[in-house]
Amino acid sequence: MAGEIVVGVGPDHSGEDAARYGAQLAGLFGAGVVLVFGYDQSALGPRGGPLEEQLEEIAAEIAAEVVAILAVEHPTIEVRVELVRDRPADSLLRVAESIEAEMIVVGHGGGGPIRAALLGSTTYELVHRGSIPIVVVPAKE
Amino acid sequence: MSTAVKEPSMADKGLKGGSLGLVAVIVIGVASTAPGYSLAAGIGGIASDVGEKAPFIMLFAFVPMGCIAAAFYYLNKADPDCGTNFTWGVRAFGPRAGWISGWGCIVADLVIMPNLAGISGQYLVLLFSEKAASNIYLTTTIGITFIIGMCWICWKGIELSAKSQVLLLGTELLVLGVFAIVAIVKAFNGVTKTVTNADGVQTVYNSMKPSLSWLSPSGVTSSAIIAGLVVAVFAYWGWDTCVSVNEEAEDSSRTPGIAAVLSTFILLGIYLLTSYGTVALLGPAFVADNSDDAIYAAGNVALPTVFVKLLIIAVLTSAAASCQTTILPATRTMLSMGAHGAAPKILARIDRKRLTPDFSTWLFGVISILWYLALVLVSHNTETDAYSASIAAVGMAIAVYYGVSGLSCVWYYRRFLFKSVKNLVLIGLLPLFGGSVLIFVFIKTVIDAADADYAPGTLFGVGTVLVIGTLLLAVGVPLMIWCNLKFPGFFAFRPDPVDKVPDPYGEQTLAAPLGTYTKSSPRGQEVDHGR
Repeated sequence: MAGEIVVGVGPDHSGEDAARYGAQLAGLFGAGVVLVFGYDQSALGPRGGPLEEQLEEIAAEIAAEVVAILAVEHPTIEVRVELVRDRPADSLLRVAESIEAEMIVVGHGGGGPIRAALLGSTTYELVHRGSIPIVVVPAKE
Repeated sequence: MSTAVKEPSMADKGLKGGSLGLVAVIVIGVASTAPGYSLAAGIGGIASDVGEKAPFIMLFAFVPMGCIAAAFYYLNKADPDCGTNFTWGVRAFGPRAGWISGWGCIVADLVIMPNLAGISGQYLVLLFSEKAASNIYLTTTIGITFIIGMCWICWKGIELSAKSQVLLLGTELLVLGVFAIVAIVKAFNGVTKTVTNADGVQTVYNSMKPSLSWLSPSGVTSSAIIAGLVVAVFAYWGWDTCVSVNEEAEDSSRTPGIAAVLSTFILLGIYLLTSYGTVALLGPAFVADNSDDAIYAAGNVALPTVFVKLLIIAVLTSAAASCQTTILPATRTMLSMGAHGAAPKILARIDRKRLTPDFSTWLFGVISILWYLALVLVSHNTETDAYSASIAAVGMAIAVYYGVSGLSCVWYYRRFLFKSVKNLVLIGLLPLFGGSVLIFVFIKTVIDAADADYAPGTLFGVGTVLVIGTLLLAVGVPLMIWCNLKFPGFFAFRPDPVDKVPDPYGEQTLAAPLGTYTKSSPRGQEVDHGR
């Protein structure tokens, strides 16, 4: 297996543990890691322009922090970043599909089932919509 | 080690995945127009202006708003900026016109916040006790809590899942529909209600048989039509932005068009049905006399208690949705103005954890609360009904900034107007018509509202609508002068040169970034280098 492992990273740093675990798996499989940062703004107002440009900058910075962590802890693993202007779940699935990824690794957002039903949950959505294995890394105590 | 950081390709930018399907676009369009709340807030004023002709006004008001949606659609092709009319105003007419247009948008959003808070407070209390709804301290406290809560939701970036949104909107439309149909049937059978007020004076309200003539303007003065129109444009506010700006969808060449048409039919249908029902049930006078809670008052007559509770819940969820679609455009306009250097930079600050503009959101919340308290004080201590007045005042602010947007579209794309009949109609005539009508409505309202007899009451001897509508707009002028002194860079921007405007049907529809054309290089930097 020499494909790639997609790891979801987000602004809440929940993706750091997922990225570490994804890199470990990548080491075992001999695969590369693709960090996917999906960011989106509510469609209930106008978007675009400086709003999305700034989000892109922030997303790039946060992703670079994760890249730096992996560079220290897993220096042999090839890591690249995809920033996608879309809802996190859609971004992960779309990137995974386009590169025929082996699996998707995400952190656990920490919300319960009621919250997930009302507001949606990236992890829930991935588990139900994904056509490849989804690995959920629990949050540390 | 090899680390490759890949920027998103151009194909990724601005392209949505499968998330925003046809249903989602329709739901966003209709939900952000908030029909339940718009009716609860506006129908009283419309009925007092035009009586039983309310259905005509609801139908007629759509025309300029639909025309402006075309302007938004085309301008968004050149510059999809979250500052919408602010950015487009700069491109078409220069920094000052753009600044004032952006200010108009913020003012419109600000003016409507007390109504949203007030209606939420009142209807939430009505859910439990009719008596307590007249307790001003209780409703005001709930109203303020509501504003804080909605700002918090926008700041946290919390959004309902698509399914929850569909469920909420579906319930809202269903309940409004049932209410309207029951009211119309009851009106055909005849209803009478006698109300005794605190002074012991009895008023008898009789139902009116609904008639198709309510769809024609005959017998209504033009002043009354304009007065009704300024309230009714507010009922469609939000629809246009959502259908024209959020156009990225599954099949982006077709979905926006179909979504726009379908959401229009849904909105027109529900507004016609409910305005017929509300006005017919006990006649327009009853609606006008209960303008604070017209939908509730009429619902109480038409429906059993359980359904009235559902009706209240429908208005409440609708107000919450409307609050989000008020806060988000306002704060994003502020963000855009801050980012382009037209206002303090801090307005453009984005919370790194939540990815939302935090400073703008809370600033808007604080000003909304202060403005809300001011209106409560005015309404409580004077004869004037500042709530009803602010609905008309928001109509005035909408008329200004939509009017400017309509004219911006025509002027910006002037080079392409005569390229095809389609261009002439969609980019030229419709925006020109919509913009002119709205500017006319604004000017006529200024003239009419200066009269002390203009409903609802006066402040400082002038119509309250005029005071609220123009006072806040006028505050923009000294603010702009201050910004002009502080940020001369932005005010040196020049409109896009006519030959630099991209063809909206060309391969490249995006214009050069805002700020490319300035006083020192009115034709852009590249051209200067080439010389």
